[in-house]
Amino acid sequence: MVGLLMSQIILSLVLALAFLIRPGVTANVGWKIVAFIGLCILPAMCIVGGMNTHIVRSEQRRFCISCHAMEPYGRSLYLDDSKFLPAQHFQNHRVPPDTACEACHADYSIYGPLKDKARGLTRIFVQYVSTPPEPASIRIEGGFKNGQCLHCHEGARDFMENPVHSSLMASLMSNQMSCLTSGCHDAAHDVDNLKNEKFWSPGQ
Amino acid sequence: MKISALRIEKFLRVSSFLIVLGLVVEIISLLWFHPLSFVLFAFVGITLIGLGILVYLASLVFAGPATAEEKTST
Repeated sequence: MVGLLMSQIILSLVLALAFLIRPGVTANVGWKIVAFIGLCILPAMCIVGGMNTHIVRSEQRRFCISCHAMEPYGRSLYLDDSKFLPAQHFQNHRVPPDTACEACHADYSIYGPLKDKARGLTRIFVQYVSTPPEPASIRIEGGFKNGQCLHCHEGARDFMENPVHSSLMASLMSNQMSCLTSGCHDAAHDVDNLKNEKFWSPGQ
Repeated sequence: MKISALRIEKFLRVSSFLIVLGLVVEIISLLWFHPLSFVLFAFVGITLIGLGILVYLASLVFAGPATAEEKTST
Protein backbone atom coordinates (compact mmCIF):
# COMPACT_ATOMS: atom_id res chain seq x y z
CA MET A 1 0.00 0.00 0.00
CA VAL A 2 2.79 2.42 0.93
CA GLY A 3 4.68 1.29 -2.20
CA LEU A 4 1.72 2.24 -4.37
CA LEU A 5 1.42 5.62 -2.65
CA MET A 6 5.16 6.21 -3.06
CA SER A 7 5.02 5.53 -6.80
CA GLN A 8 2.04 7.90 -7.05
CA ILE A 9 4.00 10.58 -5.16
CA ILE A 10 7.08 10.10 -7.36
CA LEU A 11 4.99 10.34 -10.56
CA SER A 12 3.33 13.48 -9.23
CA LEU A 13 6.73 14.87 -8.23
CA VAL A 14 8.19 14.25 -11.71
CA LEU A 15 5.23 15.98 -13.38
CA ALA A 16 5.33 18.94 -10.98
CA LEU A 17 9.10 19.28 -11.53
CA ALA A 18 8.55 19.22 -15.31
CA PHE A 19 6.04 22.10 -15.03
CA LEU A 20 8.36 23.96 -12.65
CA ILE A 21 11.20 23.83 -15.17
CA ARG A 22 9.18 24.20 -18.39
CA PRO A 23 5.78 25.81 -17.66
CA GLY A 24 5.57 26.97 -21.28
CA VAL A 25 4.74 23.45 -22.54
CA THR A 26 1.14 23.93 -21.37
CA ALA A 27 0.43 26.04 -24.48
CA ASN A 28 -0.27 22.69 -26.16
CA VAL A 29 -3.75 21.19 -25.47
CA GLY A 30 -2.35 17.73 -24.66
CA TRP A 31 0.03 19.19 -22.07
CA LYS A 32 -2.86 21.19 -20.58
CA ILE A 33 -4.54 17.86 -19.77
CA VAL A 34 -1.25 16.49 -18.36
CA ALA A 35 -0.93 19.66 -16.24
CA PHE A 36 -4.44 19.15 -14.87
CA ILE A 37 -3.56 15.56 -13.92
CA GLY A 38 -0.10 16.44 -12.56
CA LEU A 39 -0.99 19.59 -10.65
CA CYS A 40 -4.50 18.79 -9.49
CA ILE A 41 -5.64 15.15 -9.66
CA LEU A 42 -2.43 13.37 -8.62
CA PRO A 43 -1.52 15.77 -5.76
CA ALA A 44 -5.10 15.49 -4.42
CA MET A 45 -4.77 11.69 -4.54
CA CYS A 46 -1.42 12.00 -2.72
CA ILE A 47 -3.15 13.95 0.08
CA VAL A 48 -5.89 11.30 0.45
CA GLY A 49 -3.41 8.40 0.25
CA GLY A 50 -1.00 10.06 2.68
CA MET A 51 -3.74 10.78 5.20
CA ASN A 52 -5.01 7.20 4.97
CA THR A 53 -1.49 5.78 5.44
CA HIS A 54 -0.82 8.04 8.43
CA ILE A 55 -4.12 7.12 10.08
CA VAL A 56 -3.51 3.37 9.62
CA ARG A 57 0.04 3.82 10.92
CA SER A 58 -1.12 5.76 13.99
CA GLU A 59 -3.18 2.73 15.02
CA GLN A 60 -0.08 0.59 15.43
CA ARG A 61 1.26 -0.31 18.86
CA ARG A 62 4.81 0.70 18.00
CA PHE A 63 3.51 4.14 17.00
CA CYS A 64 1.82 4.60 20.40
CA ILE A 65 4.84 3.51 22.42
CA SER A 66 7.23 5.66 20.38
CA CYS A 67 6.22 8.49 22.77
CA HIS A 68 8.47 8.37 25.82
CA ALA A 69 5.55 8.54 28.28
CA MET A 70 3.88 5.51 26.67
CA GLU A 71 6.96 3.29 26.69
CA PRO A 72 6.22 1.64 30.12
CA TYR A 73 2.64 0.99 28.98
CA GLY A 74 4.07 -0.91 26.02
CA ARG A 75 6.36 -2.91 28.32
CA SER A 76 3.42 -3.75 30.58
CA LEU A 77 1.94 -5.82 27.75
CA TYR A 78 4.71 -8.33 28.37
CA LEU A 79 3.97 -8.80 32.11
CA ASP A 80 4.17 -12.50 32.90
CA ASP A 81 1.00 -12.65 34.99
CA SER A 82 -2.45 -13.39 33.59
CA LYS A 83 -4.18 -11.20 36.19
CA PHE A 84 -3.04 -8.14 34.20
CA LEU A 85 -5.80 -7.63 31.67
CA PRO A 86 -3.88 -5.79 28.89
CA ALA A 87 -1.00 -8.27 29.03
CA GLN A 88 -3.39 -11.24 28.98
CA HIS A 89 -5.27 -9.85 25.96
CA PHE A 90 -2.08 -8.98 24.10
CA GLN A 91 -0.19 -12.21 24.76
CA ASN A 92 -3.12 -14.47 23.91
CA HIS A 93 -4.02 -12.48 20.77
CA ARG A 94 -7.47 -11.58 22.12
CA VAL A 95 -6.69 -8.26 20.45
CA PRO A 96 -4.55 -7.94 17.30
CA PRO A 97 -1.02 -7.63 18.76
CA ASP A 98 0.10 -5.01 16.24
CA THR A 99 -2.81 -2.71 17.09
CA ALA A 100 -3.27 -3.74 20.73
CA CYS A 101 -3.41 -0.16 22.14
CA GLU A 102 -5.99 0.96 19.59
CA ALA A 103 -8.16 -2.16 20.10
CA CYS A 104 -8.86 -1.28 23.75
CA HIS A 105 -8.51 2.51 23.71
CA ALA A 106 -10.25 3.51 20.46
CA ASP A 107 -13.49 5.42 20.70
CA TYR A 108 -15.96 3.20 18.86
CA SER A 109 -18.67 5.85 18.59
CA ILE A 110 -19.59 7.38 15.23
CA TYR A 111 -17.24 10.39 15.54
CA GLY A 112 -14.79 8.35 17.64
CA PRO A 113 -11.89 8.27 15.15
CA LEU A 114 -12.03 12.07 14.82
CA LYS A 115 -12.11 12.51 18.60
CA ASP A 116 -9.20 10.06 18.92
CA LYS A 117 -7.13 12.05 16.45
CA ALA A 118 -7.93 15.34 18.24
CA ARG A 119 -6.92 13.77 21.58
CA GLY A 120 -3.74 12.40 19.96
CA LEU A 121 -2.79 15.89 18.74
CA THR A 122 -3.35 17.28 22.25
CA ARG A 123 -1.00 14.62 23.62
CA ILE A 124 1.64 15.46 21.00
CA PHE A 125 1.33 19.11 22.06
CA VAL A 126 1.78 18.14 25.72
CA GLN A 127 4.75 15.91 24.84
CA TYR A 128 6.68 18.49 22.82
CA VAL A 129 5.47 21.94 23.87
CA SER A 130 4.23 21.57 27.43
CA THR A 131 5.58 19.40 30.27
CA PRO A 132 4.84 15.71 29.72
CA PRO A 133 3.38 13.97 32.78
CA GLU A 134 4.96 11.05 34.59
CA PRO A 135 3.79 7.82 32.88
CA ALA A 136 2.18 6.48 36.07
CA SER A 137 0.11 9.65 36.55
CA ILE A 138 -1.52 9.46 33.11
CA ARG A 139 -5.25 8.84 33.37
CA ILE A 140 -7.87 8.40 30.67
CA GLU A 141 -10.11 11.45 30.47
CA GLY A 142 -13.51 10.47 31.91
CA GLY A 143 -12.22 7.03 32.92
CA PHE A 144 -12.16 3.78 30.98
CA LYS A 145 -15.61 3.18 29.47
CA ASN A 146 -17.16 -0.29 29.55
CA GLY A 147 -18.05 0.19 25.90
CA GLN A 148 -14.41 -0.50 25.03
CA CYS A 149 -14.72 -3.99 26.58
CA LEU A 150 -18.28 -4.64 25.42
CA HIS A 151 -17.40 -3.74 21.84
CA CYS A 152 -15.84 -7.23 21.60
CA HIS A 153 -17.22 -9.12 24.60
CA GLU A 154 -20.92 -8.29 24.31
CA GLY A 155 -22.63 -11.30 22.75
CA ALA A 156 -19.61 -13.58 23.17
CA ARG A 157 -20.75 -16.92 24.56
CA ASP A 158 -18.28 -17.31 27.44
CA PHE A 159 -18.90 -13.70 28.49
CA MET A 160 -22.69 -13.83 28.35
CA GLU A 161 -22.94 -17.26 30.02
CA ASN A 162 -20.85 -16.11 32.96
CA PRO A 163 -23.48 -15.64 35.74
CA VAL A 164 -21.67 -12.60 37.20
CA HIS A 165 -21.64 -10.81 33.86
CA SER A 166 -25.23 -11.67 32.96
CA SER A 167 -26.58 -10.52 36.33
CA LEU A 168 -24.72 -7.18 36.07
CA MET A 169 -25.30 -6.59 32.36
CA ALA A 170 -27.62 -3.59 32.81
CA SER A 171 -25.16 -1.81 35.13
CA LEU A 172 -22.28 -2.63 32.80
CA MET A 173 -24.13 -1.34 29.73
CA SER A 174 -25.02 1.94 31.47
CA ASN A 175 -21.49 2.40 32.86
CA GLN A 176 -22.89 2.47 36.40
CA MET A 177 -20.43 -0.25 37.27
CA SER A 178 -16.98 -0.24 35.77
CA CYS A 179 -15.38 -3.43 34.45
CA LEU A 180 -12.02 -2.17 35.68
CA THR A 181 -12.53 -0.19 38.87
CA SER A 182 -15.33 -2.10 40.58
CA GLY A 183 -12.99 -4.72 41.98
CA CYS A 184 -13.46 -7.34 39.25
CA HIS A 185 -10.71 -6.67 36.70
CA ASP A 186 -8.67 -4.00 38.42
CA ALA A 187 -5.19 -5.07 37.33
CA ALA A 188 -4.35 -3.10 34.19
CA HIS A 189 -0.98 -1.67 33.16
CA ASP A 190 0.45 -1.14 36.67
CA VAL A 191 3.34 0.95 35.32
CA ASP A 192 4.28 1.99 38.89
CA ASN A 193 5.54 -1.45 39.78
CA LEU A 194 7.07 -2.69 36.54
CA LYS A 195 10.52 -2.88 38.18
CA ASN A 196 9.32 -5.64 40.49
CA GLU A 197 7.48 -7.69 37.88
CA LYS A 198 8.50 -10.68 35.78
CA PHE A 199 8.24 -10.33 32.00
CA TRP A 200 7.26 -12.78 29.30
CA SER A 201 9.60 -13.16 26.37
CA PRO A 202 7.77 -14.26 23.17
CA GLY A 203 10.75 -16.29 21.92
CA GLN A 204 10.80 -18.64 24.94
CA MET B 1 -1.24 44.89 -11.80
CA LYS B 2 -4.55 43.13 -12.44
CA ILE B 3 -4.55 39.42 -11.64
CA SER B 4 -5.82 38.57 -15.14
CA ALA B 5 -2.71 40.18 -16.58
CA LEU B 6 -0.49 37.62 -14.88
CA ARG B 7 0.93 35.00 -17.21
CA ILE B 8 -0.15 31.40 -16.74
CA GLU B 9 3.52 30.37 -16.54
CA LYS B 10 3.99 32.33 -13.34
CA PHE B 11 0.99 30.59 -11.76
CA LEU B 12 2.25 27.20 -12.92
CA ARG B 13 5.74 27.84 -11.52
CA VAL B 14 4.34 28.82 -8.10
CA SER B 15 1.87 25.93 -8.12
CA SER B 16 4.52 23.36 -9.14
CA PHE B 17 6.96 24.69 -6.56
CA LEU B 18 4.41 24.40 -3.75
CA ILE B 19 3.40 20.90 -4.85
CA VAL B 20 7.03 19.72 -5.14
CA LEU B 21 7.73 21.08 -1.65
CA GLY B 22 4.58 19.47 -0.22
CA LEU B 23 5.35 16.11 -1.83
CA VAL B 24 8.90 16.17 -0.45
CA VAL B 25 7.43 16.85 3.01
CA GLU B 26 5.01 13.94 2.48
CA ILE B 27 7.86 11.57 1.52
CA ILE B 28 9.83 12.62 4.63
CA SER B 29 6.76 12.10 6.83
CA LEU B 30 6.17 8.63 5.38
CA LEU B 31 9.77 7.54 5.89
CA TRP B 32 9.88 8.90 9.48
CA PHE B 33 8.00 6.64 11.90
CA HIS B 34 7.21 9.09 14.69
CA PRO B 35 4.10 10.83 16.08
CA LEU B 36 5.50 14.14 14.80
CA SER B 37 5.50 12.79 11.25
CA PHE B 38 1.70 12.89 11.31
CA VAL B 39 1.78 16.53 12.43
CA LEU B 40 4.37 17.34 9.75
CA PHE B 41 2.18 15.81 7.04
CA ALA B 42 -1.17 17.12 8.31
CA PHE B 43 -0.08 20.71 8.92
CA VAL B 44 2.83 21.33 6.52
CA GLY B 45 2.48 18.77 3.71
CA ILE B 46 -1.26 19.10 3.16
CA THR B 47 -1.10 22.90 3.38
CA LEU B 48 1.65 23.12 0.74
CA ILE B 49 0.05 20.62 -1.66
CA GLY B 50 -3.40 22.16 -1.12
CA LEU B 51 -2.08 25.66 -1.82
CA GLY B 52 -0.34 24.36 -4.94
CA ILE B 53 -3.60 22.88 -6.22
CA LEU B 54 -5.46 26.12 -5.43
CA VAL B 55 -2.87 28.23 -7.26
CA TYR B 56 -3.15 25.91 -10.27
CA LEU B 57 -6.96 26.16 -10.24
CA ALA B 58 -6.67 29.94 -9.88
CA SER B 59 -4.46 29.97 -12.97
CA LEU B 60 -7.29 28.36 -14.96
CA VAL B 61 -9.68 31.10 -13.88
CA PHE B 62 -7.56 34.25 -13.61
CA ALA B 63 -4.51 33.87 -15.84
CA GLY B 64 -4.56 36.02 -18.96
CA PRO B 65 -4.11 34.65 -22.48
CA ALA B 66 -0.61 34.24 -23.82
CA THR B 67 0.75 37.18 -25.76
CA ALA B 68 1.70 36.92 -29.46
CA GLU B 69 5.35 36.89 -28.43
CA GLU B 70 4.74 33.96 -26.09
CA LYS B 71 2.81 32.10 -28.78
CA THR B 72 5.71 32.33 -31.21
CA SER B 73 8.20 31.23 -28.59
CA THR B 74 6.32 27.96 -27.86
